[in-house]
Amino acid sequence: MVALTLVTYSIGRLGLSGLDIALGVLLLALIKGHLIGAYFMGLNRVQGFWRWPVTIWLLLPGLLITIAFVLAEG
Amino acid sequence: MTALTQTNPAGQLNRYPPGDLAIWIFILAELAVFAIFFATYAFTRMNNVELFNQFQQHLDRDAALINTLALITSSYFVVRAVAAIREGASQICVRWLLAALGMGVLFLAVKSAEYGHHFSAGINLSTNSFYMFYLSLTFFHFMHVIMGMVILAAVALKARRGGYSIEDHTGVETGASYWHMVDLVWLILFPLVYVMH
Amino acid sequence: MQYQSQAVAKPYFIAAIGLFVLQILFGLIMGLQYVVGDFLFPEIPFNVARMVHTNALIIWLLMGFMGAAYYLVPEESETELFSPRLALVTFWVFLAAAVLTVAGYLLVPYATLAELTGNHLLPTMGREFLEQPTITKIGIVVVALAFIFNVGMTVLKGRKTAINLVLLLGLVGLAVLFLFSFYNPTNLVLDKYYWWWVVHLWVEGVWELILGAILAFVLIKVTGVDREVIEKWLYIIIAMALISGIIGTGHHYFWIGVPEYWQWWGSIFSALEPLPFFMMTVFAFNMVNRRRRNHPNRAAVLWALGTAVMAFLGAGVWGFLHTLSPVNYYTHGTQITAAHGHMSFYGAYVMIVLTIISYAMPLLRGRKVAASNKSQVLEMWSFWLMTVAMVFITFFLTAAGILQVHMQRVMDKPLPFMYVQDQIALFYWLREGAGLVFLIGLIVYIASFFIGNNEPEAEVVPST
Repeated sequence: MVALTLVTYSIGRLGLSGLDIALGVLLLALIKGHLIGAYFMGLNRVQGFWRWPVTIWLLLPGLLITIAFVLAEG
Repeated sequence: MTALTQTNPAGQLNRYPPGDLAIWIFILAELAVFAIFFATYAFTRMNNVELFNQFQQHLDRDAALINTLALITSSYFVVRAVAAIREGASQICVRWLLAALGMGVLFLAVKSAEYGHHFSAGINLSTNSFYMFYLSLTFFHFMHVIMGMVILAAVALKARRGGYSIEDHTGVETGASYWHMVDLVWLILFPLVYVMH
Repeated sequence: MQYQSQAVAKPYFIAAIGLFVLQILFGLIMGLQYVVGDFLFPEIPFNVARMVHTNALIIWLLMGFMGAAYYLVPEESETELFSPRLALVTFWVFLAAAVLTVAGYLLVPYATLAELTGNHLLPTMGREFLEQPTITKIGIVVVALAFIFNVGMTVLKGRKTAINLVLLLGLVGLAVLFLFSFYNPTNLVLDKYYWWWVVHLWVEGVWELILGAILAFVLIKVTGVDREVIEKWLYIIIAMALISGIIGTGHHYFWIGVPEYWQWWGSIFSALEPLPFFMMTVFAFNMVNRRRRNHPNRAAVLWALGTAVMAFLGAGVWGFLHTLSPVNYYTHGTQITAAHGHMSFYGAYVMIVLTIISYAMPLLRGRKVAASNKSQVLEMWSFWLMTVAMVFITFFLTAAGILQVHMQRVMDKPLPFMYVQDQIALFYWLREGAGLVFLIGLIVYIASFFIGNNEPEAEVVPST
């Protein structure tokens, strides 16, 4: 997780930009979020309804942000 | 991390997440607020790409990096605290919680320094849409960090008095879940506001 | 009734219902003046009727809250009220102030009333909902202080439960925020800014705490569900209400001259205000479904469930309709607002007061658990008459509002205000009709207190 953060940071530091990079960074963040949900919060040991809120929460804004960034480019 | 799975025999899944269910309903509501905020940020940026890109460069990514690391480490410490109390080790639990609180203090200090820098440059909510969002989002999150720290501190105090045990430690898990949520939100906030352009 | 001193709630409830009748009568007068402009002019001009309609509402709800507090705090604290005598004295002071104020509105022109009551010494009059003469406002503060002292001392000496603490927090908040009604800066933006601290932070902040506490109390009593479960819900609901409600004040700041970020803050946070109301609905139905017993007071259960549903519809759904700033840009200050105002006040606050009255009044009047079957049937009739009438009032006003927005603000060549009002007169007539049905419901409601008193108490209906 620390490694993923450092990747994100260096991308920011190097000033890389562009749609692919931005979405890549977002993907990294979503993966990190998933790790938090699954392991830190312990949701991988939960079944049924409560397993999904964090995942859905990550995907929904993730999707909206993606749409907004894609539209902004186009 | 595997410590988290030890309450139940291997392979058996829980129906409910760790901690009080009430806090989870609250967490969902909180996450909903942030989700709306993130989406609004992204769509407002869509109409002001250049403005957002330009001012994003003015933010202090080093500070944000330190803060991200601080929160992730802090979350990890909390995981250790929960693991400790599941084995009944109250005092070890307290130490991990204090470590987590320490990282929280670091986060607040760094963020305050950033705010100090912005304010001394005369930046406020009305400067432009980017700063409006940046300040609102981070400040709202900032308040959550404080709130989370209050909860952790309360849990730590009770743990020090031996208020939790192997059988009864829902309180620790409840505080932990809230703190992870604060971390989770920052993990999205950081790339979105500081990096992506 | 477990404690003697709970009896002081009774005069409060009776006065509340009396002022409720006054409010509805003036509502009907105003409703008619919408379509027959000179009805009762010059005796009761529209602005006076409106003032009485809104002020009576606020005062009777406050009476209801106080009655509710005097009833439930001793029971929750498991001790007698600190001073029943003080409670009775404040009741008469409050009632006298209310009656004198309304009389002042009706008997002399508003400007004269301002002069008579020395408004120039500390000008606070002339602002919507805060029209009361300064001296009345001071009276309200004194009554509120005595009331909070009384209730607070009772809580302090007795058992502290989540319900009486939340209630107390709500009441203290109510009193503190009312102090902003004395702040009347000449700068209009500042004036409006703080005016909302009373108006908005009451109904979308601290009153929700009071609502939650009363609802939780009644649900514990009628369902027998564990206090622990109900209190947990109460905590989540009020936390959500405060998070969304406090910054949600921003939805009133869109067009009054405050910085632009309120557009965002107001829209985002107030968009979440339906959440606590939704949770309240889920909560109420959940608790009733998990009930441990069937309470013989079926009317109270009906009111409690009705409150949860109507508060969600009126405050939640109808509020959300026009809370986003791009929408509010068109709907601001139209009949859409009136539609929302009617259903939310009725659904949230009128109904919660009627819920606690429905639960407590039979006990205050010497019944063991509930009123007779006959009284309850009447009361439930009145529930449906008033509630359905209110739904129709809301529908008609919403229809009027949509047309108004369209003709007055959206069309290429917008039409003038008064012309548009004529165009939508049909809906005002329909609304007046629904208002009459509401009045009939209210009469049935009052009748339910007088009919069926000789009959035996209702028994528990075996669950099906």
